[in-house]
Formats: sequence, C-alpha cells, structure tokens
Amino acid sequence: MSSVVRIDELCFSHDGSGLPTLDQVSLSIPPGEALALIGPSGAGKTTLLTLLDGRLRGWRGRVSVLGDALDPDRAPPRAHRADTGFIFQDFALVERSSVLRNVLNGRLGRMSPLRALFGRPSKDDLAVAHAALTDCGIADLAERRVDSLSGGQRQRVAIARCLAQEPRLILADEPVSNLDPVRAAEILSLLTEAARRRGATTVFSSHQPDLARRFAQRIVGMRNGRIVFDAPTAELTESTTERLYDDATVAVQPRLKAVL
Amino acid sequence: MEGRGWGGFAAGGLVAGAVLWSLATTDVEFSRLLSAGPRIVDFLDRMIPPDPSVMKEILKGSAETLRIAILGTLGAVLLSGPLGVLASETMAPPVVHRPVRTTLALIRAIPLILVAMLMVGAVGLGPLPGIIAVAFHATGMLAKFYAEAIDGVARGPIAALESAGAGPLARLRHAIWPQMAPVIARDTIFRFELNLRESLILGIVGAGGIGFYIQTYVRSFQYDKAASVTLAVIVMVVAIEAFNVALRRRFS
Repeated sequence: MSSVVRIDELCFSHDGSGLPTLDQVSLSIPPGEALALIGPSGAGKTTLLTLLDGRLRGWRGRVSVLGDALDPDRAPPRAHRADTGFIFQDFALVERSSVLRNVLNGRLGRMSPLRALFGRPSKDDLAVAHAALTDCGIADLAERRVDSLSGGQRQRVAIARCLAQEPRLILADEPVSNLDPVRAAEILSLLTEAARRRGATTVFSSHQPDLARRFAQRIVGMRNGRIVFDAPTAELTESTTERLYDDATVAVQPRLKAVL
Repeated sequence: MEGRGWGGFAAGGLVAGAVLWSLATTDVEFSRLLSAGPRIVDFLDRMIPPDPSVMKEILKGSAETLRIAILGTLGAVLLSGPLGVLASETMAPPVVHRPVRTTLALIRAIPLILVAMLMVGAVGLGPLPGIIAVAFHATGMLAKFYAEAIDGVARGPIAALESAGAGPLARLRHAIWPQMAPVIARDTIFRFELNLRESLILGIVGAGGIGFYIQTYVRSFQYDKAASVTLAVIVMVVAIEAFNVALRRRFS
C-alpha cells in the first residue's frame, strides 16, 4: 500500500447535509504522515474529514482509504470503520457514562458483536483502554462521569477513545478549537506524539496556522471547497498560510461579529 | 405604551367581571360563614381523638390503593413505550407524531376521577376500573415524557460509535440507552408518585382503594374514623414522596 488516502477529482454539493461543498479535490497521503488541513470556516475541512471517515453520502469521484475504495452510497464495513478513528470537534461523548466506559466505546468495533452488545470488554480491551487513558494523562479520571469534567479533560477522553480503537488513520476535526493556546499546543502534541508512536497516519484540521506549522509535516490549505496549496511545512512561508485568511476576512466577518 | 395600557385595562375588567359574576350567582352567604365557628369546633371535637379501631380497614385500603398505583403505572409504562416512539419527532414523521401528540394532550385534559367513573360504568365496581383509569390517564403524560426523552438524545455519540465500527444494536445499547434510561426512570418514578396520590380518592366513585373508607365514614358521620383514615393518607403520601425523592436522586 503506497498511500493511506487517495482522492481523485472529488466533488460534493450539500443536498440538505448542511456541510460545505467540495470542488475538484485531489489528495494523496503517505503512511505515517501528520497532515494539517487549514482554512477559514466553510472551506470544507469538516466535509473532507467526514468523507475520509466514511460518513459522507452522495459525493462523486474516486476515494480510497487504507486500501479500500469508499462507496458514496453506503457506510464502509465495521472493520474498516474501526481502522479509521475520528475525533469530533464537540467531543461526542456519552455525558452520563464514566470516562472508562466512553473509552471502551472506542473498542466496540474491535469486539465480537455479542461482546459489544453486552458491553463485556475482554482483558485485552481493558488493557488497551487503560493504556490510552495513561497516554492521554487521565488514568486517574477513569471512574469519573464525563459530565463532571472540564473541556480540556473531555478532549483528552475523546482522544483516548480514538486511540483505544487502535486506528491506522486518525482524523481530528478542529481538535483544539475550544481550548486556550497553551492547552491547545499540549493536546496537539499529545495527539501527534501518540499517533507517531503507533505508526498511525494523522489528519487534523485547524484554523490556527501556527499550530499546524508546529505539529504537521505537511499543510493543505483550503478555501471554498478547493485545495489552494499543498506543501511540506518546511517549504511553506508564513505569508502563504496567512494569505489564505487575508482575502477571506470578509467571509469571516459575520462570525467575528457574532463572537464580539 | 398605549396599546399595552389598554390591554391591561381590558384584562383587569375581565377578571373583575368574572369575580362579580361568581359572587352574584353562587349565593355566598357571609352570615353562614360567620356562624360556622361553633359548628367547626363541634366537627373537630368529633374527629378528635381519631379512632384507631379501623387499622384493619386502613391497611386493607392502603394496600389496595398501592396495588392500583403499581399496576396502573405498569399499564401506563407498557402503553407509553410504543406511544412515546410514535410521539417522538426524531423517530416518527409529522403525519404520525402530530396526531399522537394531540391525542395525548386530550387524554391529559380528562381528569382521572372522570375516567374512573366511566370505567366503573364499563367494567363494574372494584380495583380493576381504577387500574384501567390510572393506566389510561397516566399515559397522557408518560408517553409525552418518553417522547421527550427520545428526542433529547444527543446525536454526536451515536455518530462517534458508528465511526468506531459499532453496529446498530451496540449503538442503541451504548450511545442511546445510557442517555435515555435515567430520564425514563426518573419520569416513571415521578408518574408513579402522582398515580398513588391521585388514586387515593378513586374509592369515592367505587374504583377501589382507601378512598372507599373515607367516603363511608364521612357519609355515616363517623368523623373519628374518617380522621384515622386521613392521617393514614398523609403518612402514606409523605412516606412515598420521601422514598421517591431518594430514588430519583440516583438517576441524575
């Protein structure tokens, strides 16, 4: 397998999905790479990540992930879904369940259907879950309920659940957008480091070019559903990444107003 | 504001009109209220001390009321499961959930005692019409609560488990059920408490339970026995409320 991800001439228009469009996107990602998707809101970063996770329907083009061709009409099989981990922007945790229970949910795709249904993890499942908790620095929170945690702690639980899945490809949608700059760097460092140790390929989106430069080997810039640049981080000048946002100021303005 | 001032004036006039109409047509005699003092003293005198000899009837009646509330709640839970799904905005299309919701609202609008009287007419005296009435009446509220519990389930965790490779049953068990179960448990306990309170009076219309004895003793002027039953009812209500508060706290 030469590439973990291969996308050719992908087009997607949002029929009722509410997701931004994608236009003529082509992208190839080699194994083990840490790639950052950057660009203003509505550029199509989430749409692209959702596609790679096998949860987008009704697109056109050719997409292969981890050697399997994706079908625009149906979800990939369980084993494939277990191989691709997704970290959601709003964490998507079961609030009333314990941290450990949430992390074990990441194992459901790896368990036999019967074990998954009755929620009886094997010794291996528990060992993997606890290793993920330790990697994320939250081993002491295992028995706590998620609704008693802070935002930064929840983000760590979400990452631990993804790692417990033992994915070969990790997709992270704005994993640090809700955190302050120090926490954000901490979390991204934890995520990319854990992925590197496991030999997993990582794609994360961010609207902070400085974080992308620090933690990604390669940066893909998107605007209006198109890829506008795609280069190794070392070859990218700061002005190139900044320009991605410069002319987008007008488009971003209403959001800024809402925040202020 | 000009318009609002007029609205307030009109509302005030309406309230005053309603009160005057009630007073004028209901024959409220203040002299009767004023002369009631000695009669109330006499009434209380006949209630005190409560007659403890009716303990057997109290226990029998309370047990029957408890059974009516338990079986009535069970019936409401069984009806509210499917109706809750049909009344849910996320599980049923508008052509289904709108009429179901309207029907539930209509059921809620009928007082329990009225349903009980109709059921006594339909199936005869005893606890059975009481159980049916409680089940029917409680479904109006419980099915609506269940629908809200279903609609309140966050979609994010379901998508997350699907993404992790979990099948539909595993998603139901680990993403939907943990969000829904505590809400449903709390709603059901709450409705059980209401059912118990409301079924205390069912005996008055012949639908079983402790209400039968209250009615019998008051009608036959045995106020000391009626007082005992009343005390028993108070103890029962307070006890069940304390029990339920403790139980509900476990499902936060």
